[in-house]
Amino acid sequence: MREKWLRMEEAMEREVKGRKAGVLFSAALCALCLLLSLPFVSWIRLVNISALFSRMGITREMAAELYQSYGIFNLLSFVEKGKQGALGLYAMICLLLLLAVWYFQLSYLWRVLRNKKHKNGNLGLYVCGRAATVLAILLAAASQGFVFFANATYGMKGFLASPVIYLVAALSALAYGMIKRMEKRERLLYHEHGLLKELRKNWVLFLMLVPTFVYFLINSYLPMVGVYYAFTNFNFRDGLWASPFVGFKNFEFLFKGDLVRLIRNTVLYNVAFILLGNLTQIFFAILVSQVLGKWFKKITQTLMFMPYFVSYVLLKVLVYNMFEYDYGVINSLITAWGGTKIDFYNTPAYWPMLIILFNLWKGVGYGMVVYLASIMGIDGELYEAARVDGANVFQQIRYITMPLLKPTFIILLLYSLGGIMRGQFELFYQMVGTNGILYRVTDIIDTYVYRITMTQPLSIGLGTAAGLYQSVFGLVVVVATNWLIKRKNEQYALF
Amino acid sequence: MKSRKSRIKKSKSMIVFQCMACTLLTLGAVICVVPFLLILSGSLSDNAAILREGYSLLPRSFSLAAYETIFKAPEEILQAYKMTIFYTVVGTCVGLAMITLTSFVISRKEFKYRNQVSFLIYFTTLFGGGLIPWYLMYTNVLNMKGTTFPIWFPGVMSPFLVVLMRTFITDSVPDAITESAKLDGAGQFTIFYRIVLPVLGPGLATVGLFLALGYWNDWYRSSLFSTSQKTWELQFYLSNMLNMSASLKQMAQSANIPVADMPTQAVKLAMAVVVTGPVLLFYPFVQRFFVSGITVGAVKG
Repeated sequence: MREKWLRMEEAMEREVKGRKAGVLFSAALCALCLLLSLPFVSWIRLVNISALFSRMGITREMAAELYQSYGIFNLLSFVEKGKQGALGLYAMICLLLLLAVWYFQLSYLWRVLRNKKHKNGNLGLYVCGRAATVLAILLAAASQGFVFFANATYGMKGFLASPVIYLVAALSALAYGMIKRMEKRERLLYHEHGLLKELRKNWVLFLMLVPTFVYFLINSYLPMVGVYYAFTNFNFRDGLWASPFVGFKNFEFLFKGDLVRLIRNTVLYNVAFILLGNLTQIFFAILVSQVLGKWFKKITQTLMFMPYFVSYVLLKVLVYNMFEYDYGVINSLITAWGGTKIDFYNTPAYWPMLIILFNLWKGVGYGMVVYLASIMGIDGELYEAARVDGANVFQQIRYITMPLLKPTFIILLLYSLGGIMRGQFELFYQMVGTNGILYRVTDIIDTYVYRITMTQPLSIGLGTAAGLYQSVFGLVVVVATNWLIKRKNEQYALF
Repeated sequence: MKSRKSRIKKSKSMIVFQCMACTLLTLGAVICVVPFLLILSGSLSDNAAILREGYSLLPRSFSLAAYETIFKAPEEILQAYKMTIFYTVVGTCVGLAMITLTSFVISRKEFKYRNQVSFLIYFTTLFGGGLIPWYLMYTNVLNMKGTTFPIWFPGVMSPFLVVLMRTFITDSVPDAITESAKLDGAGQFTIFYRIVLPVLGPGLATVGLFLALGYWNDWYRSSLFSTSQKTWELQFYLSNMLNMSASLKQMAQSANIPVADMPTQAVKLAMAVVVTGPVLLFYPFVQRFFVSGITVGAVKG
């Protein structure tokens, strides 16, 4: 028995040592590939330079900016000068691949250096390493493809792949093989299995996911490719994918023009919605929780929940009904009391307040439910004890309910902070519609993009750029707030 | 002596609080309800009275003319009703099936990639291509502008509802039961169909109602993808009618009413009542499902 143990330990020891060497070696290969993909190493060479540049329609001065050969890194500036749409898309994909490769290579190296043990050994490390190597091979293939594609586009032999590409592919393939072997051994050790075995074992579950997969592919993941339009100048002759590539021109144009106003409106309105919304919701939730009379409680809560159920189109009817110039309720009240009518629809100053008010009106019932659930979760004995000690109902609210609601409040605040760049499109569009007089104070990113989609097909690039800016900035905000939440309370973190 | 005094003080503060709370809550409820009453009374008013004196809380002179106008030429609104019911039924059924299956899969502990799948679903709320690439996906890639598919399909799922359903599943089906079923030789589909589905009633009702409400209140997808009035959703029909007095005039002509006599203001409001009515009649009865859904959903995400 003891001998058996010893032998097993010895085997483990050998295993671990062999693995260590393998890991280090593959990490070294990865590092080498990383170095080879840095900007100063040329991946693609230009031949017949003068003929190529005249074919591309590039002047001498512009040509002087472009070097004789390219790291994969400055493909984009090259394509931008060439103004070729389809090549731009191709170069963009190559660059994104490059970023992904760098990310996985660096994190593989980082994990190897840190050498931390996880509960399933190094399997996570291997997945990372495999991703890095596979993507690097793909990138090399894509670069070779770029050479063919560019040559075909210009109809001449102007591009040549540098041997560096083949070297990177070979090194990555070698590293992949090593990682795969180590992974196979380690999987046996930890009774884990790969994708194929999981497919065979749980194929029913995979089958159940197929419709969902299709749904998210159509609705989310394939459209993500379309952010490329943000870097083109759309025209009907060349179509969506072949319109000239213009780099960051659209973003520059947005920054000079509307973007500052759009972002200011979007963010400020959201801040007001979040703060005032939460405060009114808490206020009414506390009142409902403390008020006596079961029926009264139920009826008021039901009535305040009502606006949540109606559509924003009805909101439009309401607003129109109340603030219309000739027959609106407010104006008929004003005239009945002998005042002068107010022209709401032509006075921007009223609208921030109105929009905020109607947003509160529509959201108060929903938020009340959330806070009421949180209040119901408070231990009743606390109130009992406070009552025995002679605390009145105001003191109970001040010293028990409010402090105990604070965590919920903070968490909801942080969650909604993550969506601060996402405008309430339906609210704004239905309340303001196409009333251009009010745009200065009511236009948010979402309404701007919608308007472009519906009425200005030639500005597709601009609209996509605004949307992309919103997405990227929103993602940054979400990641930052998540980091904040994580620091505050691990279990509330979103991811 | 002391205790009596404190009791008086206590009850006094209680009375003050109750009075205040009752007043404020009544005020809140009134603010939430009055706009609806305004619409209802406007729709029941004589159009001439509205034009003369404006809208008011109680109808100045009662008249059903607006409703009569609508129902004299009901083809368009009936078509919109029919389409909305179609979208709601198809979307809710397909959506429920997809959401339930997905949440079942990501709640199975023996499914190795459940965290990855959850993340892929969740990630769509963090980052997206934006409206234009999404719109072009349906119009140019799938070439479906003008069909009914892009109107109901985008609404069948949402990450929030998947998370909600998963919480319902993990709460109502203990691991031990599925474990023992597996030992008895049940396959994954049998576990889903025979064990999970039968106890999932409240979850299905909640998620289904969220889906149905979303479909009923949607106007946006019609505005993007409809090319003819045949595929319009009810809300978009209403929204469009508010925008275009032209469509009102057309309606007046087909109902053989002189354009000048058309009770336009009242008709707008009557249409709003006809469109929103079903929801407001229904919601007090199904409110508790929404409450439970919001409460469960608020716990996580």
